[in-house]
Amino acid sequence: MDLEYTPEQNAFRAEVRAWMEAHVPRTPLKTLEGREGYDQHVEWERTLASGNWGMVTWPEAYGGRGLDLIRWLIFEEEYYRAGAPLRANQNGIFLLGPTIMEYGTDEQKARFLTPMAKGEVIWAQAWSEPNAGSDMAAIRSRAVRDGDHYVISGQKTWSSRAAFADWCFGIFRTDPESKRHKGLSFILLPLDSPGVTIRPIRQLHGETGFAEIFFDEVRVPVANRIAGEGEGWNVAMATAGFERGLMLRSPARFQAAAKRLVALYKEHAATASPAAHEAVLQAWMDAEAYALNTYAVASTVIAGGHIGAEASLNKIFWSELDRAAHRAAMSLLGATAELRTLPDGSANIWQEGYIFSLSGPIYAGSNEIQRNIIAERLLGLPR
Amino acid sequence: MDFRFTEDQLNLREAIRDYLAGEHTPEVLRRLDVEGGRDAAIWDGLIGMGIGGLLVPEAQGGLGMGLIEAVLVAVELGRANVSEPIADTALVAAPLLGEEEQAKIAAGALKVALAHPINPWIADLDSADLVLGGGGAHSAPTDPAPLDTVDPLRRLFAPIACPADDTLLDRAALISAAQLIGGAERMLELATDYAKTREQFGQPIGSFQAIKHHLATVAVKLEFARPVLWRAAYAAQQRAARTPIHISHAKVAATDAAMLAAETAIQVHGAMGYTYEVDLHFWMKRAWALAGAWGDRAWHQRRIEAAVIGGGMTIGPETTFASELNHG
Repeated sequence: MDLEYTPEQNAFRAEVRAWMEAHVPRTPLKTLEGREGYDQHVEWERTLASGNWGMVTWPEAYGGRGLDLIRWLIFEEEYYRAGAPLRANQNGIFLLGPTIMEYGTDEQKARFLTPMAKGEVIWAQAWSEPNAGSDMAAIRSRAVRDGDHYVISGQKTWSSRAAFADWCFGIFRTDPESKRHKGLSFILLPLDSPGVTIRPIRQLHGETGFAEIFFDEVRVPVANRIAGEGEGWNVAMATAGFERGLMLRSPARFQAAAKRLVALYKEHAATASPAAHEAVLQAWMDAEAYALNTYAVASTVIAGGHIGAEASLNKIFWSELDRAAHRAAMSLLGATAELRTLPDGSANIWQEGYIFSLSGPIYAGSNEIQRNIIAERLLGLPR
Repeated sequence: MDFRFTEDQLNLREAIRDYLAGEHTPEVLRRLDVEGGRDAAIWDGLIGMGIGGLLVPEAQGGLGMGLIEAVLVAVELGRANVSEPIADTALVAAPLLGEEEQAKIAAGALKVALAHPINPWIADLDSADLVLGGGGAHSAPTDPAPLDTVDPLRRLFAPIACPADDTLLDRAALISAAQLIGGAERMLELATDYAKTREQFGQPIGSFQAIKHHLATVAVKLEFARPVLWRAAYAAQQRAARTPIHISHAKVAATDAAMLAAETAIQVHGAMGYTYEVDLHFWMKRAWALAGAWGDRAWHQRRIEAAVIGGGMTIGPETTFASELNHG
């Protein structure tokens, strides 16, 4: 065990810090959920790519720097320290990218990964359907083979980024006779394909964030399928593992929130409830614990280990930590919590954060599903 | 930066775990419960495994290991619910004593009770040769009168006045936290095993989501308490400036994991969990005992609060690990 950063790691941190200080926008971008803010965030992705910071862990051949997970954690720490914008391409770089890296052909890697790292193509997810949420194996959208194309019909929903994104990835039923997990295939397609209709869904906070996608006989080349026909479920489970696992929610994100929460507590200490006081300290401890666990898991992965169902432990911990921290902030703000714009003219980021945190225990597989996975795969309880 | 144990450390843990699983079974706990809690043969076995000399330098007949190894061993002592005063003597007191006492501890010929004003009692005074507190070690009194306590295998006595010793407190809190983690792991296993075999409505109760979710919540709590403990051990080993804060965090996290594991395990066992017949109660009571010892949750949380809210200690890479970010 060696819990010190090496001189090389410290030098890397300094390099990231200097670049972020020079490039992170001085004024906060508009919300990623609206057109103007989306365009600003895509612009930021391209700025990142100009510094070769698109995805530091990817091989250099695909627009990365070939760095290990400890460097990635350092990068993220500096990213959040600088208050850099949300990643518009989170679906691409954290979910689809690793999936293509593992299951894609060389041709697919060359075609999709580099534009992803460079922020040239922004990706949406197309997984859930109106009747296939937690029960994802109930998927009905079908892709019928017609020569060297699939003809896709059906409906997807809760598709993050779909309102403005360029492409989507999802699983579709390629064998019409199949049931449940069998006969599904993992397919990528441009959202401006003829026959695609997108209907944004207004979210809890009033903005559009995710969307429904309707497919009406959309023709997609077979070459856009990742892995074999009928292997979509296994590929999707790997993608879901990436989503719940190490990369989607880096510890720096929660450490930054805990730091702001402590500052908020100091402003409101005189009126804080004992429960909020307790929750602030708990949020600080949990953010710290999440960072420690992530470094421990990253060390194991670097040494050749891998994360399986353990990813579900992670997903529960960060999502419930995030909700509790923002709940505490709302409590500290008291009656001010209901304002969307604070008297000083700034946005009430705690309210935005609290509303967003409510989605954490639901997306990427609800925490109830995660608890089933832990019980069955890690503890060995019967189905 | 490499947050993993070495092969040697993992082998040590496995050897101690296997030994205790074979020699320190629940049947042994039941025998000790009837016979009065201590057994010279168990003590000799622990010394034979090298635990007495774990932290004693090789020149004094020990293994010359450090606090990371001590914490790994203490987790296993907690998992097996060992009641001999080996953790206090070998894993807390030994490195704080002189060479002569260390040699005796390595050989199993000296037992130490720990005194500190934070504890309103003192454990294992009856079997102790020495009492270690602030201001040094003294001979233990003869024939102290035991207190009536909830843990049938723990022996407590009226306190001995002495000054506070911060190092002693921190080391003892760290080793208590490790034992709490081990106990929590064992309680989760006991409850999981029971849920796999106990049938109601024609199927194992562990197939029901209500039971699954209870146990999964404990698994999450434990998963995120363990690395907090490891980091505290590493910091203590390095004598890092923030060691007391890291140890307090470990004690709080371990206490929360153990208390949740205990309450969940009894609930999963149903009425059987409320009986003396089921082994669970030995671990549950040890969890209650260690939760209050060497600074309870409130005490350790106040120490964290003093640093984080009172002292402006930040969160992030500057403070998460042992040394300063730009150290050297």
